[in-house]
Amino acid sequence: MTNHKPKAESRSDEAEGLDGGWGWVLVGALFVSTSLVFGLMRSLGIFFVEFVQYFEESAQAISWISSTGLAAQQFFSPLGAALCNAYDARVVVMTGGFLAGLGLILASQATCLVHLYLTMGVISGLGWGLVFTPMVATVMANFTRRRTLALGLGFSSIGLSSFAFNPLFQFLVETYAWRGALLILGGLSLNIVPCGALIRPRRRSKAPEKVNSGSRSSCAMVLRRVSSYLELPLLFERPYLTYTLAVTLLNVGYFVPYFHLVAHSRQAGFSEYQAAFVMSAAGATDILGRVVSGWFSDLGHFRLLHLLSLWTTLAGVFIMLLPVSSLSGSYVVLVMISLLYGFCSGALTSLVFAVVPMIVGVERMMGALGLLQLIESGAGLLGTPLSGLLRDVTGNYIASFMVAGGFLVLGTLTMATLPHYFSCTDPPAPQRHSHEDKNKSLHPELEQINSSPPDTGHGGRAQ
Amino acid sequence: MKLLWAISALLLSCWRANASTAPNIIADPPEVSNQTSAILTCNLTESNLPIKGSLWMHNGKLIESTKTTDSASHTALTLDKITHSSSGKYECVFLTEPEVKKTIEVKTLPHVFAYKHSEHGNEKDKGVMACVSHGYPLPTDWTWFKEVDGIQTPIINGTSDKYEIKSTPNKTTLTVNDLSMENDIGDYVCSGTNELGTNSDKIHLRVRSRLAALWPFLGIVAEVIILVTIIFIYEKRRKPDEVNDGSAPLKSNSTANHKDKNVRQRNSN
Repeated sequence: MTNHKPKAESRSDEAEGLDGGWGWVLVGALFVSTSLVFGLMRSLGIFFVEFVQYFEESAQAISWISSTGLAAQQFFSPLGAALCNAYDARVVVMTGGFLAGLGLILASQATCLVHLYLTMGVISGLGWGLVFTPMVATVMANFTRRRTLALGLGFSSIGLSSFAFNPLFQFLVETYAWRGALLILGGLSLNIVPCGALIRPRRRSKAPEKVNSGSRSSCAMVLRRVSSYLELPLLFERPYLTYTLAVTLLNVGYFVPYFHLVAHSRQAGFSEYQAAFVMSAAGATDILGRVVSGWFSDLGHFRLLHLLSLWTTLAGVFIMLLPVSSLSGSYVVLVMISLLYGFCSGALTSLVFAVVPMIVGVERMMGALGLLQLIESGAGLLGTPLSGLLRDVTGNYIASFMVAGGFLVLGTLTMATLPHYFSCTDPPAPQRHSHEDKNKSLHPELEQINSSPPDTGHGGRAQ
Repeated sequence: MKLLWAISALLLSCWRANASTAPNIIADPPEVSNQTSAILTCNLTESNLPIKGSLWMHNGKLIESTKTTDSASHTALTLDKITHSSSGKYECVFLTEPEVKKTIEVKTLPHVFAYKHSEHGNEKDKGVMACVSHGYPLPTDWTWFKEVDGIQTPIINGTSDKYEIKSTPNKTTLTVNDLSMENDIGDYVCSGTNELGTNSDKIHLRVRSRLAALWPFLGIVAEVIILVTIIFIYEKRRKPDEVNDGSAPLKSNSTANHKDKNVRQRNSN
């Protein structure tokens, strides 16, 4: 064990196991960039009121702007991952930040709704897609023992920035009108560029693996390269597919409370402020859950996969309990269950990404995350209309919440079908196969790192 | 002569027949204007039809609590506090075959209020201010004033391209085109008049210069450029050191590893 450690540290930023120093700077960069991507996306609702009035369009047409943005972010995630594999994560993130800012700056000059779709939706969405997955993968690559805590701290920015951005955006719109506010937001989004600049430029170690030595470029070669950058072979691996399916099921139910909890509380008879407070309380424990779960997972007492299953099941159960609690008419019970739900849903968020390297290995993590984002995007499109439909059919939200919680539990059950699920320690990470085997002999250190379990810390302590 | 008698007798009997079958409702008071409270009463007279009950309607909607099935020919509705929301047309309905009803109008001053008391617009762009009114009767006239130093000057529609006023009985909008920062900032007053009187509300219009947001934006862009420059410079300065550290183990594995191994062993012990 002591043999490979010096070699790992001598390879500095390319290996895992840094767990400190520059890694925490990257966590800060992740914090800022995530807040500027998702926190910003969540607070765009304030602009929509202005758009409805200015462009005289329906609220539904305006809401397509954020749907397009989110869809673009998730759709372009594999592209971002592939570009990082091909080139440098630093360049990709900086470009993404520039595009995100550019989209918003152009949006400030929009004269019709289609302009907004193209700028705020497509261009900014493309930028966000190029930013999020590479940043997450880079942070994860820089940590081993503290990976989940790093992720938890990074993602806690989403909740915090939603709190901060709502009044800020309101102030900007009041002071500068929506055009000026969008211009300033574009400038704020440009702050992602320095976050990307903080990523250390990668040494040329990844590039040689991907290229078959002595090959001329031909159609098949190019296709194979592209598919290896996108990590398409992952789609044929059962563990990865199972996990992706589980996360997709999770996503169907995950967002339902965000959209319907306030309306459900109002319907149960509570006032506007009480309903809004329930949502805020859930949001606060969400932030807490992300950080606490990250810290707890890294203690190593349990496998990350088991913890993820635990939080997912609990979140599902609490979602199912939400309508029951409000039926009883007690406000205190509703708030309690919302707090618990918020905590569990935040807790599982930290872990969802951290489990990926367990299944596919650190080397393929970037592409795996990109594909995961793309596939799970379908779930978001399905979940909310489904719950809305159930509500329209049954007249209340009980069925929607039950189904949403059910999907989460179903996700856990799917996760249980992963190989080695019931063992107490993590199995060794899968190694790269196919044409990379040839190159392994060229990089003995790489082979050693691949063959040792990525979470030696966890495995060791669990024993 | 006899024909004349016959015709007049026929007419008389017809009239009496009509009189005896046409019910009459006496409503008291016939109209309510500008009162803070009132009691509306309806008395059904000259009807020998059976009364199955009575109820009151407000603006075409049934008032549930007034529905009764007793056969009194007298019904009353008390309005404790008359505000714009309780004004409108009240109908007392007697449930006979066929139904008979009478309308009492409750009128108040118009309730005029603005959607937003503070509006903003961009220079050279347009600014839109809107006022709505509730109550009965709805205003027949809307006027807009611009208030400068306490003096209200009326704004007349159609005299120039600058102002456009669109009014419907319950809503009025004033659009100020080509906003200029010197002339158009200030308070605008919308006032609605109905037969009882006038009410008004005030809106403050703020005009922002087109370039107002540009300065913070440029500031942020400058900050981003400075940050990126600092990061790159910092890295260039560190790079020479890092290259030595990084490449040394790869090139001369033995020495560096031995050094590290010793460190490791000491720590693990």
